[in-house]
Amino acid sequence: MIAAARYELVMMLRRRSMWIVNGAIVLLLVLISVGQLRDVFHDRDAQLAMARAAFLIQLVLPIGYGCLLADRLIRDARLGVAPLLDATPAPAAGRLAGKYLGVCAAAAVPLAVVYFGFAALYAATAGRPVALAWAAAAFAVVIAPAVLFVGAFALAVPLVVPAPLFRVLFVGYWFWGNLISPAAMPTTAQSVLEPVGGYPIQELLGWHGDGAFNPAGPVPGASLNFLRPVASPATAWLSIAVLLAVAVLVLAGAQAFRARTTR
Amino acid sequence: MRIEIAGLTKTYRGKGPALDGLDLVVPTGMFGLLGANGAGKTTLMRILAGLLRPTVGEVRIGGYDVTTRTGRLAVQRVLGYLPQDLGVYPDLTAREFLDYVALLKGIDDRPARRRRVGELLDVVTLTADADRRLRGFSGGMRRRVGIAQALLADPRLLIVDEPTAGLDPEERIRFRTLLSELAGERTVLLSTHIVDDIAQTSRELAVLSRGRLVFRGTVEGLTKHAAGRVWTVVTSGPAPAPASGTVVSALPHDTGMRYRIVGPEQPAPDARPADPNLEDGYLALAQDAPLP
Repeated sequence: MIAAARYELVMMLRRRSMWIVNGAIVLLLVLISVGQLRDVFHDRDAQLAMARAAFLIQLVLPIGYGCLLADRLIRDARLGVAPLLDATPAPAAGRLAGKYLGVCAAAAVPLAVVYFGFAALYAATAGRPVALAWAAAAFAVVIAPAVLFVGAFALAVPLVVPAPLFRVLFVGYWFWGNLISPAAMPTTAQSVLEPVGGYPIQELLGWHGDGAFNPAGPVPGASLNFLRPVASPATAWLSIAVLLAVAVLVLAGAQAFRARTTR
Repeated sequence: MRIEIAGLTKTYRGKGPALDGLDLVVPTGMFGLLGANGAGKTTLMRILAGLLRPTVGEVRIGGYDVTTRTGRLAVQRVLGYLPQDLGVYPDLTAREFLDYVALLKGIDDRPARRRRVGELLDVVTLTADADRRLRGFSGGMRRRVGIAQALLADPRLLIVDEPTAGLDPEERIRFRTLLSELAGERTVLLSTHIVDDIAQTSRELAVLSRGRLVFRGTVEGLTKHAAGRVWTVVTSGPAPAPASGTVVSALPHDTGMRYRIVGPEQPAPDARPADPNLEDGYLALAQDAPLP
């Protein structure tokens, strides 16, 4: 597992497209959110500033890594490496877990560069070094669970649908499941199943949104409100646990599918 | 490691059997597996490597039943496998790729792993290119990386599927020699459709056709199959067209062209009998029991 994680990380980090795609998305984010970023930058509360920055990053950056990770599992067969690896005594489940952790770690690197870069800039200009600690906390409870959730789907789903189709579906899902208002249509946005991490942002990092917008909790008149329990620290941890549990289930499904189809 | 195969059938969904009731015993040492493309060689190799489950039948390697999980793992611990369509990760260097496979094969001790990778890079003469990414490697160089990875864990069973495809003549000779040297205490199963690779390395062989065993014996035995059926004809006229034979080669000669023909009947009145070789024996076998 460690070998697979290590070399998948290396291979992913060497992929030029990963840096180009992430760079382009960050540029886009800066262009469309320049006002909000300025507000964050001028927020004197380091905890809230880091929570808001995490929320902004979560809105669009996962689209990039979700699409980039889509070929990581299926490419073993495409490249012809799969028979060679399958003939080793290393358990297939361990290799899958290693691959998953490796590519997720690689996906997290550009996020960490952008987020901690922003946090460092904020800490230096605002004279609030504590922002770095809050950034680490936000990374652990908001960004990392999203990477693990998206990574599992990005590895597994292209086993059953072509990778380009997965990318299209994933972009659609991201906007539908995270960015659409629950009042407008049935969606998983603002629910415990939302990988943007509304519950931990609100309840663990203390940012309750702007104006009428709350990142988490029941939305009056919306459907699927059973997925939106009253926000509390417990439901925030529940949200993280649900995301990770779904990721594990998806990976287990991928492993079962591969075992059934490859032998 | 002795390989015992009994009643082995593999049927792919929607297709006919790739292997059809195969019975075969492979002893320790070098063993050749010959057959045309589509004869079932690769399917057999993949079953032996634990990559495919047989539809029916038994496969035991060194006493382990490879159709069970524990048996498969036991075999894979002592297996070196070079698949026919070898792929590599283009983003890794040759050294990194071998290191990765070595880790998957359980060579956990770092200095030992590095030493072994270095030795094998030397064996396949890739030391100078060891730290270049595989993206830039030619087909022959990738094949040599494949050969090196198969030898990483000092395997007791080496399964090589079309190993010399893409190698230049010098590399082919070097690799065949290496395989023969390795075969002492090991079982080396060499699958190929290149008859010369078997002739130069193996004493015993089997021939598959349409998933069935059509010959099991020695190289000499298969060669003798063509005894009295090999002819040479020198002519300046049109090429002979034997009704039931095959023209094996055509070489320029002082007085025209020299044709080598394998067939049950003398192809021309002035045709002279010639000593058969393994390729002639294989062709004679194909004429008796048409191979795909």
